[in-house]
Amino acid sequence: MRSVLRSHWLYVALTAVLALVAAIWAVPHLSEPGWFAYAPDPTGFTPPLPTLSPDLFLFPASAQIVLLAVGVGLLVQIYSTAYLGHHQRYRSYAMVIVLFLVAMIAVVGTTNLWVLLVGWEVMGLCSYLLIGHEWETGEARAGAAKAFLVTRIADLGLVLAILVIGETYGTYDLLGAQPLDGEAKNATAIGLLVLVAVVGKSAQFPLHSWLPDAMPGPTPITALIHAATMVAAGVYLAARMLPFYADSTVALTAMAVIAGITMLMGALFALVQTDLKRALAWSTVSQLALMFAAVAASDPEAGLDHLVAHGVFKALLFLGCGCLMHAVGTSALSAMGGMRRPMPVTFWTMTIGFAALAGIVPTAGFFTKDSVLHALESATEGDGALAGGTAWALFVVALITSLVTAAYATRLWLKTLLGPAPGGLDAHEAPLAMTGPLVVLAVATFAVSIGQPFHHGIGVVSTVIAAAGIGLVLLMWRRGSSLDWAPAPLAAELGLDRPFSRWVPRLTGDVASAVVDLDRDAVDVYPRGGAAAAALGTRGLALVQSRNVQRYATVLAAGVVVLVVVGVVVS
Amino acid sequence: MIVAALLVPALVGLLLMIGRRLVRGRTAAWLGAGAMTVSLVLFADVWEGRADVSGEVDVSWIEPLGARLHLGVTVVSWPFLLMTALIGVLCCLWLLADDTSPALVGLVLVISAASMGVFSSLDLLLFFVFFELALIPMWFVIAWWGSSTSSSGAGAAHQSRFKNGARYSATRFLMFTVGGSALLLVGIVVIGLDGGTLQVLDAGSASLAAAVLVCLGFAVKTPIVPFHTWLPDAHSAAPTAGSVLLAAVFLKLGTYGLILFSTVLDRFEDVAPYLAIAGAIGIVWSALACYVQDDLKRLVAYSSIGHMGFVVLAISTQSSAGLAAAVFGSVAHGLVTGLLFFAAGSLKERFGTASMTRIGRGLYGRSPWLAVTFVLAAVASLGLPGLAGFWGELLSLRAAYEVGDVLTKPVAWTGLGLALVGIALTTAYFVRAIRLLAQGEPVPHDGDRDLGRREAVVMGALVVAIVVLGLVPALVLDLYEPIRFSVAR
Repeated sequence: MRSVLRSHWLYVALTAVLALVAAIWAVPHLSEPGWFAYAPDPTGFTPPLPTLSPDLFLFPASAQIVLLAVGVGLLVQIYSTAYLGHHQRYRSYAMVIVLFLVAMIAVVGTTNLWVLLVGWEVMGLCSYLLIGHEWETGEARAGAAKAFLVTRIADLGLVLAILVIGETYGTYDLLGAQPLDGEAKNATAIGLLVLVAVVGKSAQFPLHSWLPDAMPGPTPITALIHAATMVAAGVYLAARMLPFYADSTVALTAMAVIAGITMLMGALFALVQTDLKRALAWSTVSQLALMFAAVAASDPEAGLDHLVAHGVFKALLFLGCGCLMHAVGTSALSAMGGMRRPMPVTFWTMTIGFAALAGIVPTAGFFTKDSVLHALESATEGDGALAGGTAWALFVVALITSLVTAAYATRLWLKTLLGPAPGGLDAHEAPLAMTGPLVVLAVATFAVSIGQPFHHGIGVVSTVIAAAGIGLVLLMWRRGSSLDWAPAPLAAELGLDRPFSRWVPRLTGDVASAVVDLDRDAVDVYPRGGAAAAALGTRGLALVQSRNVQRYATVLAAGVVVLVVVGVVVS
Repeated sequence: MIVAALLVPALVGLLLMIGRRLVRGRTAAWLGAGAMTVSLVLFADVWEGRADVSGEVDVSWIEPLGARLHLGVTVVSWPFLLMTALIGVLCCLWLLADDTSPALVGLVLVISAASMGVFSSLDLLLFFVFFELALIPMWFVIAWWGSSTSSSGAGAAHQSRFKNGARYSATRFLMFTVGGSALLLVGIVVIGLDGGTLQVLDAGSASLAAAVLVCLGFAVKTPIVPFHTWLPDAHSAAPTAGSVLLAAVFLKLGTYGLILFSTVLDRFEDVAPYLAIAGAIGIVWSALACYVQDDLKRLVAYSSIGHMGFVVLAISTQSSAGLAAAVFGSVAHGLVTGLLFFAAGSLKERFGTASMTRIGRGLYGRSPWLAVTFVLAAVASLGLPGLAGFWGELLSLRAAYEVGDVLTKPVAWTGLGLALVGIALTTAYFVRAIRLLAQGEPVPHDGDRDLGRREAVVMGALVVAIVVLGLVPALVLDLYEPIRFSVAR
């Protein structure tokens, strides 16, 4: 037992060292002015062949994300010692988390696009391995395969985008390739390709369905990879690449439309779920779309601020969800309720998390969402690449999403933490290794607010909207509603998953079978035909050499006759 | 030095075949590994820099034909040579077992030596002689030590006429490649008549016939769709060491030949568009075929066709990125597919079949290290950035995107699009294979046994090579970097 315990803390120590090194590296960069460094180079060369020199470089926003990743990563490692420490495959689990963190740092901390790509795809691989951690169950296998396939196919967009950047600017270095204002080339192509990549990675419409299906993965992994870091890396990439396509109305409009559809859709789906983890997953999809909206409105800084705040409070919510699952053994809402007395730490910290999700002052969620809404509102003036009308539509959708978000956050809070406890439930508070990280994240939910900008008008509007959403749900709750509403199309998630779960696999299987049959019966015809022709030829030649003297004589005689006739006729 | 590097394995191989009753299998395998290590060291040591022909040997041979014994290591052939020697060493180590036949080790050595001869020939006729020399021993390897393929094989109906499925596959393999070689020989004769010389560095031919014949010849060997139907049968019937040699080394004879002859043939540009499209179609075609395979060895064999499609697409662009892509892709495919075949071979040794349904699910639980090795090989083969398989594919995409001098934009970009579809499908079929084999509720089987020491050493060496090449692609790519840009990285 002792050695087991020791080996658990070995991985925590490893992660802690990684976090410490990253922090020493990142913290000084937090206060640097400016957020992109421009160092344009004369271009027009063929780009060099790819290398993987690390080329580490941080600017304030990426330093924040590095700190978020290693911080949540360390907390998740500590949390996992209690949550999964008994698992027979704990070692590989903990090692993959460390590999994941290294990959995440590679994505955020480099200027070499190839290093970024390697980190990007290694993150996807780690996500695949960790979703499939419980590979004995069919759900985990299917979820893992879907996540890997969807993200990797979308990642081809990033590969192509990097190739186009290389051919356009003659280098694969992000700093070397920064276009000057108004001199961006191939902006629409690069923008759309980047958009494909981030839509896959961040589970945006129409490639959104893998993220909720990834929920069979262990809950700490969901907190780290599928809420705080990897899926958010899509937003980081979109923001980091923005200078390449900031001029392209097409790319930004496409991003705005996708963000608008996704944020409302995710929030509505979150509203009707009967499973806490799946509801939180849809909430992540919706919040990521909010960040993309900020990027589309050409205010990437607001998007990245919301990324950090969301990473903190969503990690808190998922880890809290893990504590509840630890206590009741399932993530179904129907099994939860009445948690205030048996699980006070989980109750209070998760309450803070839900408040941040709903956007209540003074949590970080309020301030950063405020910034995003402000960015959208500023874009409605239409002096950026995004048309004013598009920005208006996006702004309105974002306000509606805020309302729905406050409503589903309240609903989840009521159904999981308050409400009547289901009979026979013997809930108990999680061990210190699990509650400790919750407390740290709850404190961080307030700490991240420090220094965030505040916009009066928008702040009041968003507070009113949030209050309306919360009030509405509370009112229905008071009147005795069970809050279990699920219109059929919403419960079926609009059937948007059907192409991915049915049509594409079936079509591929059918085409593949046809190919195998053709390979056997059509392509292979010429060698077999050749063999048959050769056999026929030899049989014909064999007839001539029949060793039958009479036949030889007959043929000779016939030949003489023919020759004589020909000779007579010709002469 | 090159002569010694070729002769040592060849002579040891011949002696082992002659004296196959005098030595024990284990001793023979050690001797073979030693001989191949000598080759590896010599070829590594002979390198004099990318601007020169290293270790050149030039002796007169058949004067009337203008053929000379001309050997040398060039910037293109060096990576191929090192990879072949490494794979040869590993194949011999793999055969370290009491029941190994010394003659099999001898054949492996002769095949490796002949292949290295192909890669170091600077005379077209000598190239052809080595090319054929590698072929014949392979028939014996497949026919004598192979095992019958599953009944889903391309010639299932015809197979019944032969008592032994492996012998059928071997003969098919031989007929196809000899047919290709015949075209190649005629092509070489035309080149010789045209340019008046058979020396690679001086030869040139403006004949379209030569270009077509030579490309057809290599299309069988590489193989390019639709000349590929011999490959799944041969690769899946061969014993493990034979499959590895076939995939890692033999297919490279085709791609190396294409690279080499494309410099000689002036009219290569007329053939290039057809090669590009055939290669790109091959990527998609083979990936689709993989998607429904049940036999793991057939799956890996089909996946090779796809990887070779990337290489052919790269060669057909005739650009510097394309050259780097072709060499890197060939070498990486040798390592990755070698590892996949070693893993599939260990499964076949344990369970007596390579059928995924019969091996059963949950290898993660039944033999964890073997499962992890297989998953790593699969992930490398599907081209995960950071592992060796990626850079060749990436550079092929880049070469196609840049179009190059000989292709037109519609052709090159069609190839690019097909290649992208192929990458997506490749991910799909490997994820399926992982799901069928590694994951799932484990059902224990008598054959369950994790990696032995011999297997761990051989596969470990390949894993290291794959990771190192994946993280430091510059090891190979620096050979082809035209100029280093210090400012714009």
